[in-house]
Order: sequence, then structure tokens, then C-alpha cells
Amino acid sequence: MDKAIIVDHLVKNFEVTEKKPGLVSSFTSIFSPVKKTVRALKNISFTVEPGELVGFIGPNGAGKTTTLKVLSGLLYPTSGFTSVLEFDPWDRKPEFLKQISLVMGQKNQLWWDLPALETFELNRAIYELPKRDYQEALGELTELLGVKKILNIQVRRLSLGQRMRLELVAALIHRPKILFLDEPTLGLDLIAQQKMRDFIYEYNKRSGATILLTSHNMDDLINLARRVIVIDEGRIIFDGALEELVNRFAKEKIIKVSLSQEDDIKRIESIGKIKKIAFPEVILSVPRSATAVAAAELLQNFPVADLTIEEIPIEDVIRKVFRGEGRKKLLK
Amino acid sequence: MKKYLAIFRISFAQEFAYRLNFIMWRVRNVMQIILIFFLWSSVFSDPSRVVFGYDKARILTYVFGILIIKAIVLSARTVDVAGEISSGDLTNFLLKPVSYFKYWFTRDLSSKALNLSFAVVETTILYFILKPPFFFQTDITQIAAFIFSLILAIILFFGLLFLSNLITFWMPEQGWSAQFLVIVIITDFLSGGVFPLDIFPLVVQKILYALPFPYLLFFPLQVYLGKISGSMMWGGILIAMAWTLIIMAGLNFVWNKGIRKYEAVGR
Repeated sequence: MDKAIIVDHLVKNFEVTEKKPGLVSSFTSIFSPVKKTVRALKNISFTVEPGELVGFIGPNGAGKTTTLKVLSGLLYPTSGFTSVLEFDPWDRKPEFLKQISLVMGQKNQLWWDLPALETFELNRAIYELPKRDYQEALGELTELLGVKKILNIQVRRLSLGQRMRLELVAALIHRPKILFLDEPTLGLDLIAQQKMRDFIYEYNKRSGATILLTSHNMDDLINLARRVIVIDEGRIIFDGALEELVNRFAKEKIIKVSLSQEDDIKRIESIGKIKKIAFPEVILSVPRSATAVAAAELLQNFPVADLTIEEIPIEDVIRKVFRGEGRKKLLK
Repeated sequence: MKKYLAIFRISFAQEFAYRLNFIMWRVRNVMQIILIFFLWSSVFSDPSRVVFGYDKARILTYVFGILIIKAIVLSARTVDVAGEISSGDLTNFLLKPVSYFKYWFTRDLSSKALNLSFAVVETTILYFILKPPFFFQTDITQIAAFIFSLILAIILFFGLLFLSNLITFWMPEQGWSAQFLVIVIITDFLSGGVFPLDIFPLVVQKILYALPFPYLLFFPLQVYLGKISGSMMWGGILIAMAWTLIIMAGLNFVWNKGIRKYEAVGR
């Protein structure tokens, strides 16, 4: 097996009924519903190698979660080809389902009124795990996530963070080879987020599982994903290394200068866009191609004490992607 | 098979998590039995009185019998399916190597087992307190046919209820579960849960017997009571079997259409 996941020209459309507010229109919509087709995924293609950890980023409603749902066999694709571990996800064969897991933030599979251990035991039966494997996985997961002490407490009595970690145990107890994570740190506090990230990193390394994750949390992506796929309005607009994203997206560089004495702002502005002035520090952004010229000009015409040239911080780039600004810049 | 045993077990544990709820539900059932007993006792205060061909002894046998059969056939958890589809919780099951039908059928059985064990105790106690006339069947053929028709009734009701729940795929608005109560009430009425079906005119009875409903409650009880036997009994069982097959095929068909529409929303 060479590729863990193959997606080729995948299209997914939804049909939705439009509802306008108001009593009269909600009444008329019963008899003549206004149907609209939403094109959630417009022809996307990518492949993932076994053991890779890939981050999906993009603004809300871009199609990230839809992709994960198609790959885990929940949604029937409108057209296109998908293969996960050489299975067609939609067939939902038991041998396929035993090797994957989809974890969605705030989704409950734990039985609310019972201790989490009951759910784990149920999953052991459903996945037909041998007792030894189950005990081993349970021990390892509860250790890694630090939840050994809360296994026998009713799920309803636990905090969100504790529940999320137990959900993760339930989702991983069968040691899936492919793991789809949808917003794994949603709603967690900073410490819990960090724990979750450490765990995902550790799990990927230890088990060699292929992981696809979507997140709105920049730290998740920067710390975890080597490769990112930027998806927007149902299209893939970038697929490659995280650093590469910066190169491709950021058409500008940052020049930081320290001046030995105050100078005319107008004169500096002619060289590049001023991002910040806190004398003696001035931060400029200049077009990538003109960086050398701008730096030379600064050194020549201004009392420069120090000068550095930097890339735009990765956080800024991702923030822009979330705002949907990637579209115009990357599609060119 | 082992996985469904585990589902049976956890479902049982879940029912016990709401002990007070369960106890109140049982109290309601006992109250209902007492109420029905006194209602019919006063209707038949004159022992020689006959209404619709039923005298006091026969109507009380019918009423008690139907209560026990209801506890077996109509107690079901499957009403929750609609809620799971509209809330997106169905996703949990689609991701696992488990049959959704078998999952719910197992949960139904666990609910039935729990209810039945309580119903038997309650009915026995009430039997000795109220001392109603009760008919014990001794003919082994009738008993065997009764058990078989009861199993058919359980499967048939499961199929009907599940099928009506699948509407949610196309109309995912919450609150459908309330509509199913209506369906259950209609089913109750048409299957003889409220009064014996043989008080209807013959034409209506003929039509009813062609439908699946009488085979849920009325038919099994009549077989137990020995009122239906011989070729009529086997004919009825055949019709019930045919309906079971039709409903199951329909269920499969609608389910396969439905999950294509499913959008796994909600979370």
C-alpha cells in the first residue's frame, strides 16, 4: 500500500431548503419550498502518505469538515473518487471502520449517565478487540491523557476538558490507522489545549497513524502539521509545507530598522509601508522583490544603527487565510 | 453476537440510571390496570350482562391479557431513532462496525426484558389481590402458535416504528418524536389495545385483518385464548409473516435512500 488516502476530483453538493423569517413565509414554504444547491466541495484532489500529519485550514464553511465526513464514509459524494486504505469509505465495510476514527469537537459518544469505562467496554465488544489489546490500549491512552482517576465517574459529572479527553480514549481504543480530527481543541482552556496537542503529536509518532486535522487554533497547526491544505469555498488553494505557505502567500517582507536619530516619517514612507513606529524602532513592509533595494536605500539615506529583514510571521499568514484572504492571492 | 450482548447490558444499565423515572412508569402501569379493572367491573356490575358478545369474565381476561402483551410488544426504545437522525448522533453509529438495526433491536429487547420482569411481578400480585377470572391455555399447539405470533409481533412493531422514524431523514425538524406518539396511539387503537377488535362490524374486521396492525396485539391474544385456531390461525400467521417481510424490505430500502440524504449535521 503506497497511499493512505486518495481523493480525486471529489464533488459534494447539498440541497437545502431556504427558510425566510416570519410567520407568513414559513407557512408558504411548506407548500412551495425554495430549494437551493450548495456546492460544498468543488472538485478537490489530494493524496496522503501513511503516517503523515496533515492540517486542513480555511475559513468557516470552506468544506473542511465535509471533506473529513466524506472520507470517513458519512457523506455520499456527488461525484469523484475517494479511497482510504484502499477501501471506498461509503461502503462502510467493518474492516474499514475498524481502522479509522473520526473525532469531532463536542460530539458525544460517551453514554451520558454511565461512567466512561462502560462506553469503552462497549466499544471493545463492537470492535471485537482481544482483551489483552484492549487493556494495553486503555492503559496507554489513559496514561497519556491523564484520565486514569475519572474512569469510574458518571460522564455527566465531568468537566468539558475531562470529557473531551475521555472521548478521545473512546475514539482511539481500537487503535485506528487513520484518524480524522475535527477541531480537537475547541472549547478547551490553554493548558488542556497543550495537553491535547502533545497527545496528538505523541500518538502520531508512537503508532505511526495517519492524521488529518482541521482546526481554527493556530497553535495546533504550527505545532503539529508539517503539511497544510488550505481549502476555501470548496476548492484547494494550497497544498504543501507550512513554511512554503508563507513563501507563497506573503508577497512582502518585513524590515526592522533602529535609527540613531529621529527622521522625517514622510521620507521613510516613500521606501515602504510603515507598520509601526516606536522611535528608534521602525517596522516597514516592502514587496518581496524590492527588499534588497529598499534595504540599501535605508542604509544609504538614513542614520541606521541596526537593520534586520524578516518573513511575515506565520500566524499572520494563517490569520489571513481564515479571513478568506487567501483566495485572491493564491489563486493567481 | 457478543457485541449485541454488550449493547444489551449497557442499555439495561442505562435504564437503571433513571430509577425514579422507571419506578414512576411502573406505578403508572399498575394504576392503569387497577383503573381498567374497576371500570369494566362497574360496566358489568350485573354478572349476566353481555356487551358486544363479551361477559365480565371474558372482558377481564382480554384486558389483562392485552396489558401483558402490550408490555412485551409495544415497549420499545426505537422511538429515539428520529432524535438521533435529526441531532446528528447517528454519526456515532455509522462510524462503527455495528448494524444500526440490530443495535436498536437489541436495545428494544433489553427494554422489553426489564419491563416484562416487572410486569410479571406486578400482574401476579394484582392477580391475587383482584382475583379476576383468568384463562390458562393448556393446548400445546395454541401455546406454540401464540409464542411464534408474539415473536412476529415484536419484529413487526419494531419494523413499523423504525420505518416511521426514518421520515426524519427528509424532514429533519426536531419534535418528530412527538408525532410518533400519535403513530403509537393509532397503532394501539387498530391493534386492539383499547378494546377487542371483534366488536367491529364484520366488513371492518375483514379489512383490519388484511393490515399489519391486528397481528401486533389482538391476534396473538386470541390465539392464546383459543378463539382463533386451526386454518384461521395458520392463515393469520402467514399474513403476519408476509407483512413482516414487506416491512423489513421497505425498511432496508428507505434506510439506504435515507443515509444518502443524511448530512451528519449538528456537531
